[in-house]
Amino acid sequence: MKNLHEYFLLMFVVGSVAYVGNVIGDGMFSLQSMAGMLILILIAGLGQLLSKLIPLNVPSVVYVIAIGIVASLPQTPWGESVSVFTNEINLLSIATPILAYAGIAIGRSWTDFVTMGWKAMVVSTCVLFGTLIGSAVIAQIVLTFQGII
Amino acid sequence: MMDLIKDWRLHLLVLGVVLITEAIGTIRIEIGPGVIMLLPMLFAIVIGLLLFFTPLVKEKQSKHAEPIITLSVTLLIAKIGVTIGPGLTDLIAAGPALLLQEVGNFGTIFLALPIAVLLFNMKREAIGMTHSVGREPNLGLIYDKYGFESPEGKGVTTVYIFGTVFGAMFYGLIAGFLASFTPLHPLSLAMAAGVGSGSMMAAAVGSLVGLYPELEPQIVAFAGASNLLTYSTGLFVSMFIALPMTEKLYTIFKKWKGGEEKKNEKSA
Repeated sequence: MKNLHEYFLLMFVVGSVAYVGNVIGDGMFSLQSMAGMLILILIAGLGQLLSKLIPLNVPSVVYVIAIGIVASLPQTPWGESVSVFTNEINLLSIATPILAYAGIAIGRSWTDFVTMGWKAMVVSTCVLFGTLIGSAVIAQIVLTFQGII
Repeated sequence: MMDLIKDWRLHLLVLGVVLITEAIGTIRIEIGPGVIMLLPMLFAIVIGLLLFFTPLVKEKQSKHAEPIITLSVTLLIAKIGVTIGPGLTDLIAAGPALLLQEVGNFGTIFLALPIAVLLFNMKREAIGMTHSVGREPNLGLIYDKYGFESPEGKGVTTVYIFGTVFGAMFYGLIAGFLASFTPLHPLSLAMAAGVGSGSMMAAAVGSLVGLYPELEPQIVAFAGASNLLTYSTGLFVSMFIALPMTEKLYTIFKKWKGGEEKKNEKSA
């Protein structure tokens, strides 16, 4: 379980950085948002714990999202408060530090990237674009058909 | 993991980047009917990358940053979980669309494979490049099947590197672009954003939420659920459907191409 305790610590560090960004983005500090961030760290940690305890080959993010859903179901006695607190944390405040870490990590692939050749870059761009647009068009058709959009 | 936690230089640098990017805020560029949003997170990638080339970032920080991305994406996933909870019924209602749009991930095969083979005359590396979006599970699959040094292996490595460097930025920009300039609905794009990479999804979702803040819960829920679906089914779909399909199409394209080349020789 030593690993889990380290995971919590790391999430606490990253969560704190994200929290500072959230405070600046919102222009205000509140105890509610702080509770919101702590709840998110707790949910992420519980997900890791579950994935360690349950001997199934399921990625830990599956447990994390499942716990997040159960924690925020309005039908439960706790759901409403979990929603209210975590609503104070913007998704983007969490995304920004992650992408900052990504930027710093990207540097190591940079030389491989620039020596890639333009044809490989064009094909790679088509790979990224094709994956997105294919799904978007199908989703658009089905959602329209269902009358959701 | 203690090394990761104690790399204060790295965390302080990231904190610095967050402070700077939040201070810059969002820059909106209005073009005709649409808006391009340059969000703090996009600046964060660029500033992070620039920092790598300064003495502030040593090899160690860059190495440590990599596992931190994967680990801290769970924090993002936790946020997605608590966003889905209150709207779970909406998500279930959209179930059919969610399941069917997974098929759309084959879009890469139909778009990129012809370009690679017919236009650029690439060989078997095209199979590795275009069979999927080329994230970690696909890397494993191709290395396992063909070997790391094989043409297919080199192909998937290329797309992996490109996606690593450019993916989040690309999806961040293109999702916002498609939402403002095409009839595609932000919710369709949200579902499409779940391509099986946390940082790419985060960037795409960020842009969509920036443009349509009133739809935030649905956008986050749809993207999160779709990403989860891709995470959990992606490897099997690649293994049993996408990869065999790419192989088949590759053979067909090569045959066409072969026929054409022979014709050219005759006429020459």
